[in-house]
Amino acid sequence: MWVGFLMTLTVYPLLSLWTLGCMAVFPAAFLLFKFGTRWSTERIVRFFIWIYGRGWIALVFPFVRFSRKGLEKAASIQPVILVVNHLSFFDTYCMALLPFYNVAFAIRSWPFRMYWYAPFMRMANYLDVETSGWNDASLQAKKILERGGNVLFFPEGHRSRNGALGRFYSGAFLLAVETGRPVIPLVISGTDVLLPPGRRRLHPARIRLEALPPVEPRRFSGPTAHIQLKKVVREAIGRRLAEIRTKR
Amino acid sequence: MTDKEIIEKINTALAEEFELDEASMVPEAHLFDELELDSLDLVDMVIVLEQAFGFKIREEEEIRSIRTLGDIHAFVIRKRHQRLQSS
Repeated sequence: MWVGFLMTLTVYPLLSLWTLGCMAVFPAAFLLFKFGTRWSTERIVRFFIWIYGRGWIALVFPFVRFSRKGLEKAASIQPVILVVNHLSFFDTYCMALLPFYNVAFAIRSWPFRMYWYAPFMRMANYLDVETSGWNDASLQAKKILERGGNVLFFPEGHRSRNGALGRFYSGAFLLAVETGRPVIPLVISGTDVLLPPGRRRLHPARIRLEALPPVEPRRFSGPTAHIQLKKVVREAIGRRLAEIRTKR
Repeated sequence: MTDKEIIEKINTALAEEFELDEASMVPEAHLFDELELDSLDLVDMVIVLEQAFGFKIREEEEIRSIRTLGDIHAFVIRKRHQRLQSS
């Protein structure tokens, strides 16, 4: 119990300092990358967001054991559409466990109200699927994929309140069918122990991020192709999540 | 098929597809605010209803005005009756 108390007392201030430090360094680092690499703005910012996430992983490392599985396969077939179950606010930070950085998140509008993160999210061309509506979000996502970026969805739309896998919204799967890009189902576990929804106190946890085999949208056809794809991916994530929980 | 049976069939199909809690499936339930469906779900819903009842409704202008579960019930019942009258 005292470990959780210690963790809460140390991680939040360190995270604030890390955030402020990154924001202070960003303008100079951005210019350096812009002229040194000729990368696009969105690619550079996604790279820095990934580094920021790596920093967060280092901060919680004394309290959290991380493990990864199957992610190299996802890295080898980019660009892809990543779909991941959603358990905690810190799920997004854990995406720094991915072995690649060029990922645009498709998220609801509330994260864009975090004024300290919003400018970076906009520069990284993150998708606000709630405000922009599906047609615009879909066009934006297709352009990101065309430029070699990956798009990541939390298809449940919000964090699970009880750990159970919620129903999936269709956006990610319709995008996969329309673009022909494979879907990589990601299973995250343990972040609900680290920080359950609605809580502020942190707890030591074992966090695992696992990529399941890619699902090719061309396996499905007809007007219900995206619905079939959604069901297959949801079943795969649900099955693996149940297996992981049984082993816990 | 009676109107009650049509409503039950609609509710079963939608509950299965969108994992809706049957208790929340009252006619006045708002599709977006209460059942938490989104605009893409409405497209999926049309597909589900077409499969369940064997008619094409995706081109119907009236679908755009559907807001509640009761609107869906009324729409499908009306379509069914129109279909029976024309056949």
